[in-house]
Amino acid sequence: MTAHQKILVRKVAAHGFVVCFLILVLVPFVMVISASFRQGDFAPSRLLPDKVSLDHWKFVLGIPYQEVVNPATGETRTIKAGTPPLLWFWNSIKISLISSAGIIFLSSTAAYAFARLRFKFRTSTLGALLILQMFPMVLSLVAYYVILDFTGQHLKWFGLNTQAGLIMVYLGGISNYIWMIKGYFETIPATMEESARIDGASQFQTFVRILLPMSLPIFAVVFILSFISYMSEYPVASVVLQSSDNWTLAVGANSFLYEQEKLWGRFAALAVLSGVPITVVFLLCQRFVIGGLTSGGVKE
Amino acid sequence: MSEGSVEIKDLVKTYTDDRGRPTFTAVKNISLHIEDGEFMVLVGPSGCGKSTTLRMVAGLEKITSGTISIGERVVNELEPKDRGIAMVFQNYALYPHMTIFNNMAFGLQLAKKKKDFISDTVGRTSKALGLDHMLERKPHALSGGQRQRVALGRAIVRSPKVFLFDEPLSNLDAKMRVQMRSEISKLHAQLGNTMIYVTHDQVEAMTMGDRICVMRDGLIMQVADPLNLYRQPDNLFVAGFIGSPPMNLLKGKVQRRDGSLFFTEATEKNPLNIPLKGKLEPLASKYIDKDIIFGIRPEHLSDEVKDPAHVPVTSTVEIAEPMGSESLVYLKAGTANLIARIHGEHLFHLGEQVTVQFNLDKVSLFDAATENVIR
Ligand SMILES: Nc1ncnc2c1ncn2[C@@H]1O[C@H](COP(=O)(O)OP(=O)(O)O)[C@@H](O)[C@H]1O
Ligand SMILES: [Mg+2]
Repeated sequence: MTAHQKILVRKVAAHGFVVCFLILVLVPFVMVISASFRQGDFAPSRLLPDKVSLDHWKFVLGIPYQEVVNPATGETRTIKAGTPPLLWFWNSIKISLISSAGIIFLSSTAAYAFARLRFKFRTSTLGALLILQMFPMVLSLVAYYVILDFTGQHLKWFGLNTQAGLIMVYLGGISNYIWMIKGYFETIPATMEESARIDGASQFQTFVRILLPMSLPIFAVVFILSFISYMSEYPVASVVLQSSDNWTLAVGANSFLYEQEKLWGRFAALAVLSGVPITVVFLLCQRFVIGGLTSGGVKE
Repeated sequence: MSEGSVEIKDLVKTYTDDRGRPTFTAVKNISLHIEDGEFMVLVGPSGCGKSTTLRMVAGLEKITSGTISIGERVVNELEPKDRGIAMVFQNYALYPHMTIFNNMAFGLQLAKKKKDFISDTVGRTSKALGLDHMLERKPHALSGGQRQRVALGRAIVRSPKVFLFDEPLSNLDAKMRVQMRSEISKLHAQLGNTMIYVTHDQVEAMTMGDRICVMRDGLIMQVADPLNLYRQPDNLFVAGFIGSPPMNLLKGKVQRRDGSLFFTEATEKNPLNIPLKGKLEPLASKYIDKDIIFGIRPEHLSDEVKDPAHVPVTSTVEIAEPMGSESLVYLKAGTANLIARIHGEHLFHLGEQVTVQFNLDKVSLFDAATENVIR
């Protein structure tokens, strides 16, 4: 083989790998979109729908539509969702936005303490956080259930089957974000904050006026990550939220997958719908994920 | 008036870990008085505790023991902003997301000064520093020298009693450094404030300081004005640290022969013998047969006799660095290596035999055991 041929083979192999990988990523995505536009609720067998129908989308968006009940007589009935799925959509967005904002607030302040203050048990607490984050939230489901049951007896709006309760549980998942933000803070030289301190800024003013503006990129990343994870979180939400008007999109979507009958079409439409806010949040936050925010402040 | 004087007394700094266990003592009991309006330079090799000392004066680092007073007021427990100080950092430490104007105005804004006052003060200071046409820029759009000037301006607008500088010029290129050096000196002359200036560069220390405090390993080795520090080093460390090229230091013993004292170099083969006459005689007489170190600066080796205090030493030229009006000549005398700074437009050739004259009036003798100068 000449050198030229070798390069060619290598190119083909590399491109082949990339194409296979792309297919692996894209096919499920296309299948979900196509399932949402396919008539009927069969598990999708072909990539493109054979019969296009907007029924699933109408259902999800709360628009009544006619469904043929008896093909022999042509008898139809009007279908309209009991709880409008759009309500779940708003619930999800609301819960995810509030939780993510709370996450940013809690984890950035905690990360500031870990990165800049010196106190007893700092390293051991950090280590404990690292270990804690290795256990998935699901493992504590029972505990969350009991705790919320208890708080609900005293504060009605803050117990089981309340969104406030779910948000509270979600806010517990900050340990890995603390680590991420702390890592970022530590790349920022402390002299800028010391300058601010000499200039007369309090610790809080230093945090808000000096450190925060330089940390927008990491906050954007944390916001995106936590928003995505809460938009799609199912196990905890399904246990905490019981009545259907409180459900999030993930819980609602799963409710169409009955043991006997899996309504894939509606499920797929909801899945696609949940991608919309994620995309929007991503596009909004992306503008902040830019380098060079700290450049010029210190000589590296 | 002494509101800008700084008194450091028995200052100790031991760094601790998170649990408060001591890890490293960076400053081991130093005392230093700085006059109001004085330009004091802290100089020493890297890691000797200069920054730690300065940061304790600034209030950025907790004091382990001892006291620091500024203007006769103990400031140990005061926040930095209440100490009447301003600090310029080596890495500028500007606020990257703020304009130059806001960088300089930040402290005044926090102090809730009037808008007019702020824009007036910042405007005047930036004009004096040649920054007035870039007030709306962010720091990243400035050169290194300009950034350090902004940092200087930020310190000036606070109108502190004491300026603290931590190696402010180390990040600048050589030319900029020389320029900023004279600017800071001019600033000191204009404002008349107390300034404490940390550097590891002895040239900077010598050219800028009213007085210089030489530190090593968390201790003060000597405090003196530049000339005295150069002429009369208290110990071997200062002798070797100050001056470039460094002082020639020869190890040996004092010996008495035929009723006169000699310095005899400590080597096996043909050691250098230098008579210890004049002012050296009474000093050396206490050290007969003891180890001492003989120190002489390069410029006190010359190639012509000027007065009877000179003694000739025969040596061979190893390297010669002609620099126009003077030459640095690296010599070998016996086994000893010597550097001579010889004035005049001589040309020295490798391997050439020259007789250099030691100016005994300028020699320092050190006790080899204590490393202190013999007085
Ligand atoms: N936060 C710290 N914890 C432990 N040791 C430190 C700390 N900061 C500085 N040191 C040590 O203290 C010594 C003096 O440091 P410093 O004052 O910065 O020296 P320099 O004279 O170079 O400015 C150094 O050996 C340094 O390693
Ligand atoms: Mg330093």
